[in-house]
Amino acid sequence: MKRSLTLFSIMVALFFAAGSAAAQDGATILTGADLTRVVPNSFYFQGLSAPTQMRNTAAARFGKDRYVISGLVDTSGYSADVRAKYVGFLITDSAIKLNGESLPAGAYGFGFANEGKLTVMDLGGKDLLSVPVTNDKALRRPRPLMMSSDPNGVRLYNGKDFVVIAAQ
Amino acid sequence: MRHKLVVSVLLVWLLSFVSSAQTPPQGGVSTGPAATYTSRRTVGITDPNAPVVFEDVTDKTPLANFRHRSGEAAKDFIFETTSGGAAIFDYDGDGRPDIYLVNGSTNAALRGKEKAPRAALYRNLGNWKFEDVTDKAGVANERFGFSVAVGDYNNDGRPDMFVGNFGVSRLYRNNGDGTFTDVAEKLGVARKGWSTGASWGDYDGDGRLDLFVPGYVQIDLNHLPPSPSDVNKAGVGQNFCQFRGVPVMCGPRGLPGEGDTLYHQKADGTFEDVSVKAGVNDPEKYYGFSSAFVHVDDDKLLDLIVVNDSTPKQLYMNKGDGTFEDIGYPSGVALNENGREQAGMGLAVGDYDNDGRIDFHITNFSDDSNVLYHNDGDRNFTDITFQVGLGEVSIPFLGWGTSFIDYDNDGWLDLFVVNGHVYPAADAHQWGTSYAQQALLFRNVKGKFERVGAPPGNALANAWSGRGLAVGDLDGDGRLDLVINNLDAKPVVLRNIAATSGHWLGLKLIGDVAKKSPRDAIGSVAYLTTGNLRQRQDVVSGAVYCSQNDMTLHFGLGAATKVDKLEIKWPDGSVETFDVPAIDRVVTITQGKGH
Repeated sequence: MKRSLTLFSIMVALFFAAGSAAAQDGATILTGADLTRVVPNSFYFQGLSAPTQMRNTAAARFGKDRYVISGLVDTSGYSADVRAKYVGFLITDSAIKLNGESLPAGAYGFGFANEGKLTVMDLGGKDLLSVPVTNDKALRRPRPLMMSSDPNGVRLYNGKDFVVIAAQ
Repeated sequence: MRHKLVVSVLLVWLLSFVSSAQTPPQGGVSTGPAATYTSRRTVGITDPNAPVVFEDVTDKTPLANFRHRSGEAAKDFIFETTSGGAAIFDYDGDGRPDIYLVNGSTNAALRGKEKAPRAALYRNLGNWKFEDVTDKAGVANERFGFSVAVGDYNNDGRPDMFVGNFGVSRLYRNNGDGTFTDVAEKLGVARKGWSTGASWGDYDGDGRLDLFVPGYVQIDLNHLPPSPSDVNKAGVGQNFCQFRGVPVMCGPRGLPGEGDTLYHQKADGTFEDVSVKAGVNDPEKYYGFSSAFVHVDDDKLLDLIVVNDSTPKQLYMNKGDGTFEDIGYPSGVALNENGREQAGMGLAVGDYDNDGRIDFHITNFSDDSNVLYHNDGDRNFTDITFQVGLGEVSIPFLGWGTSFIDYDNDGWLDLFVVNGHVYPAADAHQWGTSYAQQALLFRNVKGKFERVGAPPGNALANAWSGRGLAVGDLDGDGRLDLVINNLDAKPVVLRNIAATSGHWLGLKLIGDVAKKSPRDAIGSVAYLTTGNLRQRQDVVSGAVYCSQNDMTLHFGLGAATKVDKLEIKWPDGSVETFDVPAIDRVVTITQGKGH
């Protein structure tokens, strides 16, 4: 039941995101109700549906109706091996670039298994791509996960580490 | 675009059917990356050159007969792992601080199948003699106790106790004749659920103490979460509730949290739940452990800090209209310097660098450091844990009670931390940590901290399953002593025998109720100047970890033989300056009247 709800949430999020009617060329960071509308309550990855830490979610809209949604999940139910590499999800309804590396539309897990790198995995836990993170030492109030604007798109932060997400 | 979207959704849907489904996850804490050690760093660490600071005098007192009990040794469930608090307070007004120890319980006792463990009150007779007066006082609790917070809620000059339970909490009214009466139901503070480190404070300035009680986790005894022994049972799965790959008790993450409660005291002495109205009800249901009403920005309004396990901490600024604003995130207190949530347990409140502003030290889980937040002013805090020497050393420890304590009377607040793991499995694996752990004592050297080693055979060389901690000068010699409540064990009474020539001053403050200051002066701030050093001490209820320090303020004066200036900022916001004709003693100061 919970898994079905999760999938339903993801579908709703993606369809809603795709149907949004904003007309902007740049990236817009979503906040408040705009954010909570698109974030799923839980996320399926490698055999479990784990609840989303709603306080640690972020989303951005590219152009008028392309969305990238990310959140940390409660990974405590996973084995130590999975927890070591998986911390949250990344959902995109269109192809994007992560630090210049292409990522097609889809729902993914991500983590920081390799020191200084963000690794994106498919829902079965298979590594798809890995990109180096940049440490923003000047960031004054880091959060477990957040997005902020970047000249090339948006920055997806985990603490002080970030990667740049750009539309393709 | 639409085509890709549909493909993505279908992919997710398809995967859901080909994957093996498991029940939702439970368990886990927010901690750092697993640290690698070649030996245990939390037990058996001694230094033959270390000074002797404390002597374990427990066995010379009747406290040696007290046995804390909390569930079974296997610790299959989270509620068996976090009790219980301790308090030092002068309940009978004889000038000698007494000791209260909270006890836990057992599953069988909760179901009425065995006698419940008893809390205990020990009257201080002087010269390290104590009398167990629990029966006479009527404060055995005999519920699953976790916390104690002292406050004279009815302004009669006699300190009362709120005892936070798993179940129904109690408010013990001090009758003034050596007995107490539980008035929680009558007055409206018989909180149900899992009540942890409470704090008394007059947040609305009406002269009557109010009460804040954090809630931890919702537990249904009839539907307990899976235990480590369930891991291989059918339908449970293999990946449940692990720490470093080892099955452990579940929680707090994965378990439903509990909201917090603010009780406002009305003019008739009863209390009303104003949590929602005040904006401190914790709608996200973080796992609350410790709290304190304290002046963060030094206006006349008491603010509130709440330390949560594995979720962000809350820093509520008092807006003066009966409501609070949570500035945990923007202030920097919610997370550590790297933006990570931590498993907050205990809370020390004090001005460790003598800059006139209150700072916070918070204990966390193993594989993570404790954290020290420096108050920069303007509602900003900076995590300076590692810069001041409190980071690396604390990583293998799982900390609970923490308190600023000027043990050597040099005028700089030192730090004492009690520790102990929640997973018995810690002793069976090389995680660098252990189930029972040594306490940590840090000396404050003008704002930097140095660990004070444990001489072999000394009290600090022992390992305990520490939880609650209370500080007070039990023998009146001007050196602060300690009481530690240990899980499933006897407590520890540590007599301060530090070789120090530092002078000292104790201050017992009495507020003027007519001026709308609570009589026990909770919320008062004392500023004491000797030469170029200006210290600050606050009268605080609660904090530490589910515990209560003696509210007599203690100032170490170092070599100073006189006090140049003593200012008291009373709860009503008024400020008075007093002469201090003599030192090395406890002085009672009454608002508006002086000595």
